[in-house]
Amino acid sequence: MIPRGVRYALSGISWPLYALLYTPLALVAFYSFAPAPNQAGHSLHAYGVLLHDGAVFTALRRSLILAFGSAITSTALGTLLGYGLCRFRNANAKGVLAHIPSLIIYTPIIMPGLVFGISELIFFNFVHSATGFLGAGLQTMIIAHITFQVPYVALTVFARLAGLDPYLFDAANDLYADGIKSFIHLIVPVVQPAIIGGFLLGITLSIDDFTISFFTAGPGSVTLPIYIYSAIARKGISPEINALGTMMIGSIILLAIIHFFITRHRERAGQLTPTGKIA
Amino acid sequence: MSAGVKTEVEIEAGRQRLRLWVTSGPGLVWIMIFLLIPSAVLLGIAFFSSNDYGSPVLPLSVQSFQQVAGYSLLGWDPGNIIIFLRSLKQAGIATLVSAALSYPLVFFILSRPESVRPLLLLFIVLPSWTNQVVRTYAWMELLGPNAPVSWVAHLLHAVPPDLGLAPGSFAVTTGLAYNYLPYMIVPLYASAEKLDWTLVEAGRDLYASGARLFWHTVFPQTLPGLLSGVIFVAIPAFGDYVVPQLLGGDKALMIGSQIANQFTETPDWPYGAALTIIMLVFTGMGLVGFRILTRKLGGAEEATI
Repeated sequence: MIPRGVRYALSGISWPLYALLYTPLALVAFYSFAPAPNQAGHSLHAYGVLLHDGAVFTALRRSLILAFGSAITSTALGTLLGYGLCRFRNANAKGVLAHIPSLIIYTPIIMPGLVFGISELIFFNFVHSATGFLGAGLQTMIIAHITFQVPYVALTVFARLAGLDPYLFDAANDLYADGIKSFIHLIVPVVQPAIIGGFLLGITLSIDDFTISFFTAGPGSVTLPIYIYSAIARKGISPEINALGTMMIGSIILLAIIHFFITRHRERAGQLTPTGKIA
Repeated sequence: MSAGVKTEVEIEAGRQRLRLWVTSGPGLVWIMIFLLIPSAVLLGIAFFSSNDYGSPVLPLSVQSFQQVAGYSLLGWDPGNIIIFLRSLKQAGIATLVSAALSYPLVFFILSRPESVRPLLLLFIVLPSWTNQVVRTYAWMELLGPNAPVSWVAHLLHAVPPDLGLAPGSFAVTTGLAYNYLPYMIVPLYASAEKLDWTLVEAGRDLYASGARLFWHTVFPQTLPGLLSGVIFVAIPAFGDYVVPQLLGGDKALMIGSQIANQFTETPDWPYGAALTIIMLVFTGMGLVGFRILTRKLGGAEEATI
Protein backbone atom coordinates (compact mmCIF):
# COMPACT_ATOMS: atom_id res chain seq x y z
CA MET A 1 0.00 0.00 0.00
CA ILE A 2 2.57 2.55 1.15
CA PRO A 3 5.81 2.50 -0.89
CA ARG A 4 8.94 1.56 0.96
CA GLY A 5 10.58 4.97 0.60
CA VAL A 6 7.56 6.69 2.10
CA ARG A 7 7.49 4.15 4.93
CA TYR A 8 11.07 4.97 5.83
CA ALA A 9 10.27 8.68 5.74
CA LEU A 10 7.21 8.13 7.97
CA SER A 11 9.29 6.18 10.48
CA GLY A 12 11.99 8.82 10.35
CA ILE A 13 9.47 11.52 11.24
CA SER A 14 7.35 9.54 13.68
CA TRP A 15 9.87 7.98 16.06
CA PRO A 16 11.35 11.40 16.95
CA LEU A 17 7.78 12.69 17.42
CA TYR A 18 7.05 9.85 19.82
CA ALA A 19 10.23 10.77 21.68
CA LEU A 20 9.17 14.42 21.73
CA LEU A 21 5.78 13.51 23.24
CA TYR A 22 7.51 11.95 26.22
CA THR A 23 10.42 14.39 26.55
CA PRO A 24 8.66 16.88 28.86
CA LEU A 25 7.33 14.05 31.03
CA ALA A 26 10.77 12.44 31.19
CA LEU A 27 12.27 15.78 32.15
CA VAL A 28 9.90 16.02 35.13
CA ALA A 29 11.13 12.61 36.26
CA PHE A 30 14.77 13.59 35.67
CA TYR A 31 14.50 16.75 37.77
CA SER A 32 12.71 14.84 40.54
CA PHE A 33 15.98 13.06 41.32
CA ALA A 34 17.72 16.32 42.10
CA PRO A 35 20.13 16.00 45.05
CA ALA A 36 19.45 17.43 48.49
CA PRO A 37 20.63 21.03 48.98
CA ASN A 38 24.45 21.34 49.04
CA GLN A 39 24.96 17.87 47.66
CA ALA A 40 26.01 16.53 44.29
CA GLY A 41 24.65 13.79 42.06
CA HIS A 42 21.20 12.36 42.06
CA SER A 43 19.10 11.24 44.97
CA LEU A 44 15.67 10.32 46.19
CA HIS A 45 15.73 13.30 48.52
CA ALA A 46 12.62 14.94 47.00
CA TYR A 47 10.65 11.71 47.41
CA GLY A 48 11.66 11.56 51.05
CA VAL A 49 10.46 15.11 51.64
CA LEU A 50 7.21 14.22 49.89
CA LEU A 51 6.62 11.17 52.09
CA HIS A 52 6.72 13.36 55.19
CA ASP A 53 4.43 16.04 53.77
CA GLY A 54 1.01 15.62 55.34
CA ALA A 55 -0.59 18.16 52.98
CA VAL A 56 0.30 16.02 49.97
CA PHE A 57 -1.35 12.95 51.44
CA THR A 58 -4.46 14.91 52.35
CA ALA A 59 -4.59 16.21 48.77
CA LEU A 60 -4.07 12.68 47.41
CA ARG A 61 -6.89 11.34 49.59
CA ARG A 62 -9.21 14.11 48.36
CA SER A 63 -8.25 13.46 44.72
CA LEU A 64 -9.08 9.77 45.14
CA ILE A 65 -12.40 10.50 46.87
CA LEU A 66 -13.21 12.94 44.09
CA ALA A 67 -12.28 10.52 41.29
CA PHE A 68 -14.01 7.43 42.68
CA GLY A 69 -17.00 9.23 44.19
CA SER A 70 -17.81 11.02 40.96
CA ALA A 71 -17.03 8.06 38.68
CA ILE A 72 -19.27 5.65 40.64
CA THR A 73 -22.21 8.06 40.59
CA SER A 74 -21.74 9.05 36.96
CA THR A 75 -21.45 5.41 35.93
CA ALA A 76 -24.84 4.69 37.52
CA LEU A 77 -26.52 7.76 36.04
CA GLY A 78 -24.82 7.41 32.66
CA THR A 79 -25.53 3.69 32.28
CA LEU A 80 -29.24 4.22 32.96
CA LEU A 81 -29.26 7.21 30.62
CA GLY A 82 -27.55 5.41 27.75
CA TYR A 83 -29.71 2.32 28.29
CA GLY A 84 -32.96 4.28 28.38
CA LEU A 85 -32.19 6.34 25.31
CA CYS A 86 -31.27 3.29 23.28
CA ARG A 87 -33.89 0.81 24.50
CA PHE A 88 -36.88 3.13 24.63
CA ARG A 89 -36.02 5.41 21.75
CA ASN A 90 -39.41 4.72 20.17
CA ALA A 91 -41.07 6.31 23.19
CA ASN A 92 -39.06 9.49 22.73
CA ALA A 93 -40.97 12.57 21.62
CA LYS A 94 -41.30 13.13 17.90
CA GLY A 95 -40.15 16.11 15.86
CA VAL A 96 -37.92 18.82 17.22
CA LEU A 97 -38.41 17.66 20.82
CA ALA A 98 -36.70 14.37 19.98
CA HIS A 99 -33.38 16.22 19.86
CA ILE A 100 -33.61 17.51 23.42
CA PRO A 101 -31.90 14.53 25.11
CA SER A 102 -28.95 14.61 22.71
CA LEU A 103 -28.69 18.39 23.09
CA ILE A 104 -28.50 17.98 26.86
CA ILE A 105 -25.95 15.18 26.59
CA TYR A 106 -23.64 17.03 24.24
CA THR A 107 -23.64 20.33 26.16
CA PRO A 108 -21.12 19.23 28.82
CA ILE A 109 -18.87 17.75 26.11
CA ILE A 110 -18.86 20.82 23.88
CA MET A 111 -18.78 23.50 26.57
CA PRO A 112 -15.27 24.88 27.19
CA GLY A 113 -13.97 23.78 30.58
CA LEU A 114 -13.53 27.35 31.73
CA VAL A 115 -17.17 28.30 31.03
CA PHE A 116 -18.23 25.06 32.71
CA GLY A 117 -16.20 25.84 35.82
CA ILE A 118 -17.25 29.46 36.14
CA SER A 119 -20.94 28.60 35.63
CA GLU A 120 -20.69 26.13 38.50
CA LEU A 121 -18.79 28.65 40.64
CA ILE A 122 -21.55 31.23 40.27
CA PHE A 123 -24.37 28.71 40.65
CA PHE A 124 -22.98 27.16 43.84
CA ASN A 125 -22.27 30.65 45.14
CA PHE A 126 -25.91 31.69 44.65
CA VAL A 127 -27.31 28.44 46.04
CA HIS A 128 -25.06 28.69 49.08
CA SER A 129 -25.93 32.28 49.90
CA ALA A 130 -29.65 31.56 49.41
CA THR A 131 -29.99 28.24 51.23
CA GLY A 132 -26.77 27.62 53.15
CA PHE A 133 -26.31 24.30 51.30
CA LEU A 134 -23.57 23.40 48.81
CA GLY A 135 -20.75 25.56 50.13
CA ALA A 136 -17.69 25.31 47.90
CA GLY A 137 -15.67 22.22 48.79
CA LEU A 138 -15.28 18.58 47.94
CA GLN A 139 -19.05 18.15 47.57
CA THR A 140 -19.36 20.82 44.87
CA MET A 141 -16.32 19.40 43.09
CA ILE A 142 -17.87 15.92 43.08
CA ILE A 143 -21.13 17.30 41.68
CA ALA A 144 -19.27 19.13 38.90
CA HIS A 145 -17.18 16.06 38.06
CA ILE A 146 -20.28 13.86 37.89
CA THR A 147 -21.83 16.37 35.49
CA PHE A 148 -19.02 16.21 32.95
CA GLN A 149 -18.62 12.42 33.22
CA VAL A 150 -22.28 11.37 32.75
CA PRO A 151 -22.40 12.10 28.98
CA TYR A 152 -19.24 10.08 28.28
CA VAL A 153 -20.54 7.06 30.20
CA ALA A 154 -23.95 7.38 28.50
CA LEU A 155 -22.41 7.56 25.03
CA THR A 156 -20.16 4.56 25.72
CA VAL A 157 -23.09 2.44 26.95
CA PHE A 158 -25.33 3.68 24.14
CA ALA A 159 -22.76 2.78 21.49
CA ARG A 160 -22.45 -0.71 22.91
CA LEU A 161 -26.22 -1.28 23.07
CA ALA A 162 -26.83 0.18 19.62
CA GLY A 163 -24.51 -2.47 18.20
CA LEU A 164 -26.55 -5.31 19.71
CA ASP A 165 -29.05 -7.56 17.97
CA PRO A 166 -32.48 -6.08 18.80
CA TYR A 167 -33.97 -9.58 18.81
CA LEU A 168 -32.05 -10.27 22.02
CA PHE A 169 -34.60 -8.18 23.89
CA ASP A 170 -37.50 -9.97 22.19
CA ALA A 171 -35.95 -13.29 23.12
CA ALA A 172 -35.77 -12.20 26.75
CA ASN A 173 -39.41 -11.11 26.57
CA ASP A 174 -40.42 -14.46 25.14
CA LEU A 175 -38.76 -16.13 28.09
CA TYR A 176 -41.00 -14.07 30.40
CA ALA A 177 -38.24 -11.80 31.70
CA ASP A 178 -39.81 -8.57 32.89
CA GLY A 179 -38.06 -5.22 32.57
CA ILE A 180 -36.00 -5.46 35.73
CA LYS A 181 -35.09 -9.11 35.21
CA SER A 182 -33.96 -8.54 31.65
CA PHE A 183 -32.01 -5.50 32.80
CA ILE A 184 -30.12 -7.48 35.43
CA HIS A 185 -29.65 -10.77 33.58
CA LEU A 186 -29.34 -9.60 30.00
CA ILE A 187 -28.39 -5.94 29.77
CA VAL A 188 -25.89 -5.66 32.60
CA PRO A 189 -23.75 -8.66 31.55
CA VAL A 190 -23.82 -7.65 27.89
CA VAL A 191 -23.06 -4.00 28.58
CA GLN A 192 -20.59 -4.77 31.37
CA PRO A 193 -17.46 -3.98 29.29
CA ALA A 194 -18.98 -0.62 28.35
CA ILE A 195 -19.90 0.08 31.98
CA ILE A 196 -16.35 -0.72 33.12
CA GLY A 197 -14.97 1.31 30.23
CA GLY A 198 -17.22 4.22 31.13
CA PHE A 199 -16.19 4.03 34.78
CA LEU A 200 -12.48 4.04 33.89
CA LEU A 201 -13.06 6.89 31.45
CA GLY A 202 -14.79 8.81 34.27
CA ILE A 203 -11.80 8.30 36.56
CA THR A 204 -9.40 9.35 33.80
CA LEU A 205 -11.42 12.49 33.11
CA SER A 206 -11.55 13.32 36.81
CA ILE A 207 -7.79 12.87 37.29
CA ASP A 208 -7.04 14.84 34.12
CA ASP A 209 -9.20 17.82 35.04
CA PHE A 210 -7.87 20.98 36.58
CA THR A 211 -9.96 23.90 35.33
CA ILE A 212 -13.36 22.73 36.57
CA SER A 213 -11.90 21.55 39.88
CA PHE A 214 -10.14 24.88 40.35
CA PHE A 215 -13.35 26.93 40.09
CA THR A 216 -15.53 24.61 42.18
CA ALA A 217 -12.99 24.02 44.96
CA GLY A 218 -13.24 25.67 48.35
CA PRO A 219 -10.46 26.66 50.73
CA GLY A 220 -10.57 23.25 52.42
CA SER A 221 -10.64 21.04 49.35
CA VAL A 222 -7.20 21.26 47.81
CA THR A 223 -6.69 18.25 45.53
CA LEU A 224 -3.38 17.18 43.99
CA PRO A 225 -3.61 19.26 40.76
CA ILE A 226 -4.66 22.34 42.73
CA TYR A 227 -1.86 21.71 45.22
CA ILE A 228 0.69 21.56 42.39
CA TYR A 229 -0.75 24.60 40.63
CA SER A 230 -0.69 26.81 43.70
CA ALA A 231 2.77 25.57 44.71
CA ILE A 232 4.10 26.58 41.27
CA ALA A 233 2.34 29.93 41.44
CA ARG A 234 3.78 30.60 44.92
CA LYS A 235 7.38 29.49 44.66
CA GLY A 236 7.99 27.96 41.24
CA ILE A 237 8.79 24.37 40.40
CA SER A 238 10.65 22.47 43.12
CA PRO A 239 12.12 18.93 43.13
CA GLU A 240 9.25 17.89 45.42
CA ILE A 241 6.69 19.05 42.85
CA ASN A 242 8.62 17.12 40.21
CA ALA A 243 8.60 14.02 42.42
CA LEU A 244 4.84 14.35 42.86
CA GLY A 245 4.38 14.91 39.12
CA THR A 246 6.54 11.89 38.35
CA MET A 247 4.43 9.66 40.57
CA MET A 248 1.20 10.95 38.99
CA ILE A 249 2.54 10.44 35.45
CA GLY A 250 3.95 7.03 36.34
CA SER A 251 0.77 5.69 37.91
CA ILE A 252 -1.41 6.83 34.99
CA ILE A 253 0.94 5.27 32.41
CA LEU A 254 1.12 2.05 34.43
CA LEU A 255 -2.68 1.85 34.82
CA ALA A 256 -3.26 2.56 31.13
CA ILE A 257 -0.83 -0.14 30.03
CA ILE A 258 -2.27 -2.70 32.46
CA HIS A 259 -5.79 -1.88 31.27
CA PHE A 260 -4.67 -2.15 27.64
CA PHE A 261 -3.19 -5.60 28.05
CA ILE A 262 -6.08 -6.90 30.17
CA THR A 263 -8.66 -5.87 27.56
CA ARG A 264 -6.48 -7.26 24.77
CA HIS A 265 -6.11 -10.54 26.62
CA ARG A 266 -9.86 -10.71 27.06
CA GLU A 267 -10.47 -9.97 23.39
CA ARG A 268 -8.04 -12.68 22.41
CA ALA A 269 -9.85 -15.06 24.75
CA GLY A 270 -12.93 -14.49 22.63
CA GLN A 271 -14.89 -12.49 25.14
CA LEU A 272 -16.91 -9.39 24.40
CA THR A 273 -14.87 -6.49 23.14
CA PRO A 274 -15.14 -3.32 25.17
CA THR A 275 -16.05 -0.19 23.31
CA GLY A 276 -13.12 2.01 22.46
CA LYS A 277 -12.21 4.46 25.16
CA ILE A 278 -9.80 6.65 23.33
CA ALA A 279 -10.57 10.29 23.86
CA MET B 1 -62.78 -4.55 19.58
CA SER B 2 -60.53 -2.19 17.68
CA ALA B 3 -60.98 0.41 20.42
CA GLY B 4 -59.76 -2.13 22.99
CA VAL B 5 -56.67 -2.92 20.94
CA LYS B 6 -55.95 0.76 20.58
CA THR B 7 -56.06 1.39 24.29
CA GLU B 8 -53.77 -1.54 24.84
CA VAL B 9 -51.32 0.02 22.38
CA GLU B 10 -51.72 3.31 24.19
CA ILE B 11 -51.11 1.71 27.57
CA GLU B 12 -47.99 0.06 26.18
CA ALA B 13 -46.82 3.40 24.75
CA GLY B 14 -47.39 5.05 28.12
CA ARG B 15 -45.45 2.29 29.83
CA GLN B 16 -42.57 2.76 27.41
CA ARG B 17 -42.57 6.51 28.02
CA LEU B 18 -42.52 5.92 31.77
CA ARG B 19 -39.56 3.55 31.36
CA LEU B 20 -37.77 6.14 29.25
CA TRP B 21 -38.27 8.70 31.98
CA VAL B 22 -37.24 6.41 34.83
CA THR B 23 -34.03 5.38 33.09
CA SER B 24 -32.85 8.48 31.28
CA GLY B 25 -34.58 11.06 33.46
CA PRO B 26 -32.12 11.19 36.38
CA GLY B 27 -29.08 11.76 34.18
CA LEU B 28 -30.76 14.37 32.01
CA VAL B 29 -32.22 16.23 34.99
CA TRP B 30 -28.82 16.15 36.70
CA ILE B 31 -27.12 17.80 33.72
CA MET B 32 -29.95 20.34 33.47
CA ILE B 33 -29.75 21.34 37.13
CA PHE B 34 -25.98 21.37 37.42
CA LEU B 35 -24.97 22.67 34.03
CA LEU B 36 -27.74 24.12 31.87
CA ILE B 37 -29.26 26.27 34.62
CA PRO B 38 -25.85 27.47 35.90
CA SER B 39 -24.67 28.43 32.42
CA ALA B 40 -27.97 30.23 31.78
CA VAL B 41 -27.40 32.15 35.03
CA LEU B 42 -23.85 33.02 33.93
CA LEU B 43 -25.06 34.33 30.59
CA GLY B 44 -27.89 36.27 32.25
CA ILE B 45 -25.46 38.02 34.57
CA ALA B 46 -23.91 39.77 31.56
CA PHE B 47 -27.00 41.98 31.32
CA PHE B 48 -26.73 43.32 34.88
CA SER B 49 -24.75 46.28 36.14
CA SER B 50 -21.90 45.61 38.53
CA ASN B 51 -21.50 47.13 41.98
CA ASP B 52 -18.23 48.11 43.68
CA TYR B 53 -17.49 44.47 44.55
CA GLY B 54 -18.05 43.34 40.98
CA SER B 55 -21.28 41.54 41.83
CA PRO B 56 -24.28 41.80 39.53
CA VAL B 57 -26.95 44.33 40.58
CA LEU B 58 -29.98 45.93 38.93
CA PRO B 59 -30.64 47.87 36.72
CA LEU B 60 -30.18 45.80 33.60
CA SER B 61 -27.68 47.30 31.21
CA VAL B 62 -25.40 46.56 28.28
CA GLN B 63 -22.53 48.33 29.98
CA SER B 64 -20.54 45.12 30.28
CA PHE B 65 -20.68 44.58 26.51
CA GLN B 66 -19.40 48.12 25.96
CA GLN B 67 -16.58 47.19 28.30
CA VAL B 68 -15.85 44.11 26.17
CA ALA B 69 -15.71 46.30 23.06
CA GLY B 70 -13.12 48.41 24.85
CA TYR B 71 -15.15 51.46 25.93
CA SER B 72 -14.71 52.71 29.48
CA LEU B 73 -14.56 56.01 31.36
CA LEU B 74 -11.01 56.38 30.14
CA GLY B 75 -11.94 56.15 26.47
CA TRP B 76 -11.46 53.34 23.97
CA ASP B 77 -8.88 50.63 24.48
CA PRO B 78 -8.10 47.86 21.97
CA GLY B 79 -6.97 45.47 24.73
CA ASN B 80 -9.79 42.96 24.40
CA ILE B 81 -9.67 42.94 20.62
CA ILE B 82 -5.96 42.18 20.77
CA ILE B 83 -6.63 39.39 23.26
CA PHE B 84 -9.34 37.91 21.01
CA LEU B 85 -7.13 38.06 17.94
CA ARG B 86 -4.24 36.56 19.87
CA SER B 87 -6.44 33.69 21.08
CA LEU B 88 -7.63 33.05 17.52
CA LYS B 89 -4.03 33.10 16.28
CA GLN B 90 -2.75 30.77 19.00
CA ALA B 91 -5.61 28.31 18.49
CA GLY B 92 -5.15 28.51 14.71
CA ILE B 93 -1.41 27.81 14.80
CA ALA B 94 -1.84 25.03 17.36
CA THR B 95 -4.46 23.42 15.08
CA LEU B 96 -2.20 23.68 12.02
CA VAL B 97 0.75 22.24 13.90
CA SER B 98 -1.23 19.32 15.25
CA ALA B 99 -2.71 18.60 11.80
CA ALA B 100 0.76 18.71 10.21
CA LEU B 101 2.11 16.30 12.84
CA SER B 102 -0.94 14.04 12.71
CA TYR B 103 -0.67 13.03 9.04
CA PRO B 104 2.78 11.40 9.25
CA LEU B 105 1.94 9.85 12.63
CA VAL B 106 -1.37 8.38 11.44
CA PHE B 107 0.10 6.90 8.28
CA PHE B 108 3.11 5.67 10.20
CA ILE B 109 0.76 3.72 12.48
CA LEU B 110 -1.16 2.40 9.48
CA SER B 111 2.08 1.25 7.87
CA ARG B 112 2.76 -1.02 10.84
CA PRO B 113 1.30 -4.54 11.36
CA GLU B 114 -2.30 -4.50 12.55
CA SER B 115 -1.44 -6.11 15.89
CA VAL B 116 0.80 -3.26 17.09
CA ARG B 117 -1.40 -0.39 15.86
CA PRO B 118 -3.55 -0.11 19.03
CA LEU B 119 -0.41 0.09 21.14
CA LEU B 120 1.12 2.80 18.93
CA LEU B 121 -2.13 4.76 19.14
CA LEU B 122 -2.23 4.29 22.91
CA PHE B 123 1.23 5.82 23.28
CA ILE B 124 0.08 8.94 21.45
CA VAL B 125 -3.03 9.33 23.59
CA LEU B 126 -1.34 8.44 26.89
CA PRO B 127 0.28 11.81 27.72
CA SER B 128 -3.15 13.45 27.52
CA TRP B 129 -4.41 11.21 30.33
CA THR B 130 -1.95 12.72 32.77
CA ASN B 131 -3.16 15.79 34.58
CA GLN B 132 -3.48 19.10 32.66
CA VAL B 133 -1.32 20.94 35.16
CA VAL B 134 1.43 18.32 35.26
CA ARG B 135 1.83 17.97 31.50
CA THR B 136 1.76 21.74 31.06
CA TYR B 137 4.28 22.59 33.77
CA ALA B 138 6.50 19.91 32.22
CA TRP B 139 6.82 22.26 29.24
CA MET B 140 7.70 25.12 31.59
CA GLU B 141 10.78 23.10 32.50
CA LEU B 142 11.59 22.03 28.95
CA LEU B 143 11.33 25.56 27.52
CA GLY B 144 12.42 27.46 30.63
CA PRO B 145 15.52 29.71 30.78
CA ASN B 146 17.90 27.01 32.03
CA ALA B 147 16.97 24.21 29.63
CA PRO B 148 18.93 23.14 26.53
CA VAL B 149 16.12 24.18 24.17
CA SER B 150 16.51 27.78 25.31
CA TRP B 151 20.31 27.61 24.94
CA VAL B 152 19.79 26.75 21.28
CA ALA B 153 17.34 29.63 21.01
CA HIS B 154 19.98 31.93 22.51
CA LEU B 155 22.56 30.81 19.96
CA LEU B 156 20.09 31.60 17.20
CA HIS B 157 19.34 34.95 18.84
CA ALA B 158 15.65 34.00 18.92
CA VAL B 159 15.32 35.11 22.54
CA PRO B 160 17.46 37.50 24.60
CA PRO B 161 19.92 35.85 27.00
CA ASP B 162 18.63 35.10 30.53
CA LEU B 163 15.14 34.61 29.13
CA GLY B 164 13.68 31.26 28.15
CA LEU B 165 11.16 30.34 25.50
CA ALA B 166 8.68 30.00 28.34
CA PRO B 167 6.81 32.08 29.29
CA GLY B 168 5.86 33.44 25.89
CA SER B 169 3.58 32.92 22.93
CA PHE B 170 5.82 30.21 21.42
CA ALA B 171 5.44 28.20 24.61
CA VAL B 172 1.65 28.69 24.55
CA THR B 173 1.39 27.42 20.96
CA THR B 174 3.58 24.44 21.79
CA GLY B 175 1.62 23.68 24.95
CA LEU B 176 -1.72 23.86 23.15
CA ALA B 177 -0.55 21.65 20.27
CA TYR B 178 0.85 19.13 22.77
CA ASN B 179 -2.33 19.09 24.84
CA TYR B 180 -4.73 18.64 21.95
CA LEU B 181 -2.70 16.52 19.50
CA PRO B 182 -4.62 13.31 20.39
CA TYR B 183 -7.90 15.07 19.56
CA MET B 184 -6.59 15.48 16.01
CA ILE B 185 -4.96 12.05 15.73
CA VAL B 186 -7.95 9.96 16.81
CA PRO B 187 -10.55 11.24 14.26
CA LEU B 188 -7.92 11.41 11.53
CA TYR B 189 -6.88 7.83 12.25
CA ALA B 190 -10.52 6.72 12.15
CA SER B 191 -10.98 8.10 8.65
CA ALA B 192 -7.53 7.08 7.38
CA GLU B 193 -8.20 3.52 8.54
CA LYS B 194 -11.13 3.31 6.09
CA LEU B 195 -9.07 4.72 3.23
CA ASP B 196 -9.82 3.17 -0.16
CA TRP B 197 -6.30 2.26 -1.32
CA THR B 198 -7.49 1.22 -4.80
CA LEU B 199 -7.88 4.92 -5.58
CA VAL B 200 -4.27 5.50 -4.59
CA GLU B 201 -3.19 2.55 -6.75
CA ALA B 202 -5.18 3.96 -9.67
CA GLY B 203 -3.44 7.30 -9.26
CA ARG B 204 -0.07 5.56 -9.18
CA ASP B 205 -0.92 3.67 -12.37
CA LEU B 206 -1.52 7.04 -13.98
CA TYR B 207 2.01 8.09 -12.97
CA ALA B 208 0.91 10.70 -10.43
CA SER B 209 3.81 12.05 -8.37
CA GLY B 210 3.90 11.53 -4.60
CA ALA B 211 2.59 14.98 -3.72
CA ARG B 212 -0.20 14.86 -6.30
CA LEU B 213 -1.08 11.34 -5.24
CA PHE B 214 -1.48 12.53 -1.67
CA TRP B 215 -3.37 15.67 -2.62
CA HIS B 216 -5.84 14.01 -5.00
CA THR B 217 -6.38 10.57 -3.47
CA VAL B 218 -5.43 10.53 0.22
CA PHE B 219 -6.31 14.04 1.34
CA PRO B 220 -9.94 14.13 0.10
CA GLN B 221 -10.65 10.79 1.74
CA THR B 222 -9.26 11.87 5.11
CA LEU B 223 -10.89 15.30 4.99
CA PRO B 224 -13.87 14.35 7.22
CA GLY B 225 -11.48 13.16 9.93
CA LEU B 226 -9.32 16.23 9.54
CA LEU B 227 -12.31 18.56 9.88
CA SER B 228 -13.54 16.81 13.04
CA GLY B 229 -10.02 17.06 14.36
CA VAL B 230 -9.89 20.78 13.60
CA ILE B 231 -13.06 21.30 15.65
CA PHE B 232 -11.81 19.13 18.52
CA VAL B 233 -8.51 21.04 18.68
CA ALA B 234 -9.41 24.61 17.77
CA ILE B 235 -12.40 25.03 20.09
CA PRO B 236 -10.83 23.92 23.38
CA ALA B 237 -7.51 25.56 22.44
CA PHE B 238 -9.26 28.90 21.85
CA GLY B 239 -10.72 28.99 25.35
CA ASP B 240 -7.96 27.14 27.18
CA TYR B 241 -7.08 28.32 30.67
CA VAL B 242 -4.22 26.24 32.07
CA VAL B 243 -1.78 26.55 29.15
CA PRO B 244 -1.76 30.36 28.76
CA GLN B 245 -1.84 30.72 32.53
CA LEU B 246 1.28 28.61 33.09
CA LEU B 247 3.17 29.12 29.81
CA GLY B 248 1.95 32.53 28.66
CA GLY B 249 3.11 35.11 31.13
CA ASP B 250 1.76 38.65 30.97
CA LYS B 251 2.41 39.29 27.31
CA ALA B 252 0.54 36.27 25.98
CA LEU B 253 -2.77 36.78 27.80
CA MET B 254 -5.55 34.78 26.18
CA ILE B 255 -9.31 35.10 26.40
CA GLY B 256 -9.59 32.25 28.93
CA SER B 257 -7.36 33.99 31.45
CA GLN B 258 -9.05 37.33 30.80
CA ILE B 259 -12.44 35.76 31.64
CA ALA B 260 -11.11 33.95 34.70
CA ASN B 261 -9.60 37.16 36.07
CA GLN B 262 -13.07 38.72 36.21
CA PHE B 263 -14.15 36.00 38.63
CA THR B 264 -11.02 35.64 40.74
CA GLU B 265 -8.42 38.41 41.04
CA THR B 266 -10.39 41.58 40.18
CA PRO B 267 -14.03 40.51 40.31
CA ASP B 268 -16.41 42.00 37.77
CA TRP B 269 -18.97 39.29 37.12
CA PRO B 270 -21.11 41.04 34.47
CA TYR B 271 -18.00 41.95 32.49
CA GLY B 272 -16.67 38.40 32.74
CA ALA B 273 -20.05 37.01 31.72
CA ALA B 274 -20.17 39.32 28.69
CA LEU B 275 -16.68 38.17 27.68
CA THR B 276 -17.89 34.58 28.02
CA ILE B 277 -20.86 35.27 25.73
CA ILE B 278 -18.61 36.74 23.07
CA MET B 279 -16.26 33.79 23.37
CA LEU B 280 -19.14 31.32 23.04
CA VAL B 281 -20.46 33.20 20.01
CA PHE B 282 -17.07 32.84 18.33
CA THR B 283 -16.94 29.16 19.29
CA GLY B 284 -20.49 28.58 18.07
CA MET B 285 -19.81 30.28 14.75
CA GLY B 286 -16.73 28.13 14.24
CA LEU B 287 -18.66 24.99 15.10
CA VAL B 288 -21.58 25.75 12.77
CA GLY B 289 -19.24 26.88 9.99
CA PHE B 290 -17.27 23.68 10.15
CA ARG B 291 -20.39 21.50 10.29
CA ILE B 292 -21.68 23.15 7.13
CA LEU B 293 -18.28 22.69 5.51
CA THR B 294 -18.18 19.03 6.55
CA ARG B 295 -21.63 18.39 5.09
CA LYS B 296 -20.74 20.13 1.83
CA LEU B 297 -17.62 18.06 1.50
CA GLY B 298 -19.67 14.91 2.02
CA GLY B 299 -18.26 14.01 5.41
CA ALA B 300 -20.05 11.05 6.94
CA GLU B 301 -22.02 11.76 10.10
CA GLU B 302 -21.00 9.58 12.99
CA ALA B 303 -23.68 7.38 14.50
CA THR B 304 -24.89 9.25 17.53
CA ILE B 305 -27.75 9.39 19.98
